[in-house]
Amino acid sequence: MKIISCFTSLKEIAPLAAAGAAELYCAVNPLPSFGESLALKNITEFKQAAAIAHDLGLKVSVAVNSLRLQCDSRKAKRLAALCAEAEQSGADAFIISNLSALNIFADHKFRPRAALHLSSVQPCFNSLSAAFFIRSGFSRLILPNQLAPQEAKALLALCRKKGVETEIFDYRFFGCAYINGHCHMHTPWYHTLKFHSPEGSLCRVNIPVTKHLKPVHFTENSNMALMKTAACRLSGRLACGGAPRMANPASFFDFFTAGIQYLKYGVRQDTAAAKIRKVKELRYMADLAKRLKIDLGTGNARKTFVKKMTAWDGSTEKFSHAD
Amino acid sequence: MPIEHAIRLGAMTLSDLEETGGLQNAMGRFNWFYLGSEFCENLLDETLCGDIANLQKKGKKVCLSTPFLSEKGAARLKKIFSVLSALEKSGKVDFSRLELSVNDFAAIELARTAKLPVKISAGRIFYENAFTQSKTYLYVLSRQSLRFLSALGIKRYNISAAGRKPRSNFHNKMYSLGTPDFKISLYYPYLNLTTARACLAGMPDIAPHQSISGVNCRRECRSGAFEVAHPWIKETLIIRGNTVFIKFPNKFYSSEKELTKLRIDRLVYCPFP
Repeated sequence: MKIISCFTSLKEIAPLAAAGAAELYCAVNPLPSFGESLALKNITEFKQAAAIAHDLGLKVSVAVNSLRLQCDSRKAKRLAALCAEAEQSGADAFIISNLSALNIFADHKFRPRAALHLSSVQPCFNSLSAAFFIRSGFSRLILPNQLAPQEAKALLALCRKKGVETEIFDYRFFGCAYINGHCHMHTPWYHTLKFHSPEGSLCRVNIPVTKHLKPVHFTENSNMALMKTAACRLSGRLACGGAPRMANPASFFDFFTAGIQYLKYGVRQDTAAAKIRKVKELRYMADLAKRLKIDLGTGNARKTFVKKMTAWDGSTEKFSHAD
Repeated sequence: MPIEHAIRLGAMTLSDLEETGGLQNAMGRFNWFYLGSEFCENLLDETLCGDIANLQKKGKKVCLSTPFLSEKGAARLKKIFSVLSALEKSGKVDFSRLELSVNDFAAIELARTAKLPVKISAGRIFYENAFTQSKTYLYVLSRQSLRFLSALGIKRYNISAAGRKPRSNFHNKMYSLGTPDFKISLYYPYLNLTTARACLAGMPDIAPHQSISGVNCRRECRSGAFEVAHPWIKETLIIRGNTVFIKFPNKFYSSEKELTKLRIDRLVYCPFP
């Protein structure tokens, strides 16, 4: 399993490679990427980044994965031209979510030689959608965090058959339980904030919400026992991060044994030191899964892996000594 | 053409509506009924087919709403299409009065392979492949985005009202849309803010050793919803099942004629989120 890491500055590339990253990706201004995170200044800087990465034997992808790919005629022409320039500057792949990008490229006679990777911002939950994306030209699918490995069997079988790569995020460093790309909780496009809140915190209010919760729209036929259970769940979940996470140690191990090729770390806002530390964590976890599987067989490896990673408290350094 | 009026049942079934005594009123007021589920595949089942046939028998048009689909959900939808095809062959369902609203590419693929000659519209999550919206604007992303979805058979978009009359770019020459040929079905008064696959209200907790095989719930959402006074957000949020909604009760238009400028030709009333 290979590690793919984000980077936001040239200085991070070599240390990330040393930490275990086999591939890198970045956002590049002014190419439209998902979220408002850090990006390389321009394509010139990207060209330097690609040269450094390639010298180290690493491929590098460029995120053009804004779902809100708003382009009038002038911007569409510019988008195609910028992507062509990014490709000439060394982009090995484009990460795309809105498939209209492909129409924009075609309209402006840009036929990417770089690979196309489907962003998790265009979530693929089943093999029929996967087949559509593969026919559209994608050679790698980045799976959403809200897909369980048991649910992904047919999708993964299709990808293996078609020679399409698959990628998942590290569950420890990608926390959103809402469907990525379609969550309007944090940016006040519709609601009004009482005051500015830190990014991502609206679903983690960390206060008991029981008194703020009121059942509505129920009838005499409603199952009030179920409503009571639901109310208890909601109180806890709204206070600390929303819906349950489908991605966890067990799901990682199951995806690992199912043959997912890439494990991704993508918190661009992290400092360089945090990025490097987390890439080492990803590398350690993937290596641990592999080692346990070889030593113990899948069944016992899974139990041991889950036990170890459930005890993970932010660092696997102490695991290394114990191992 | 006059504005059409629809009612969306969501988690409520047609027999629920009948039991509450609301069916007769609804039959008088609305020419479209929206059945199915926009946000959760656990609410898709074959009983919808009987409801579709009954409503069409009473002269109504029906929109079957579909959500994001796992393999299980896709299999359920495939079965629904199979039942609908059988009903169509026996003259009980008319595909010309049935629309399919999609939030997953799989639903489009299934309709294509089942050769369902139904009109397809983009659901309230899927529409974001061609539009971007906020409380003050509603913009087409690009002519390429409309073209991409039009090639899949989509020319109608299901979008929620956001409380104010939005600015639009539909006639902005910079977007080269020409005479736009898309239509919008405007849902009111609930706007869907965010959706989780693992249901907020219904999904049991997941232990670290559990790698789940699907979303196991007891359809808590059929029993009701919850209003939440979020400490940092002024508006009241409403949670039903796996989706968080905001209510915008105020009409932003003074006459239905104004809606045609925004290419809205159908209003979809949601009695609850």
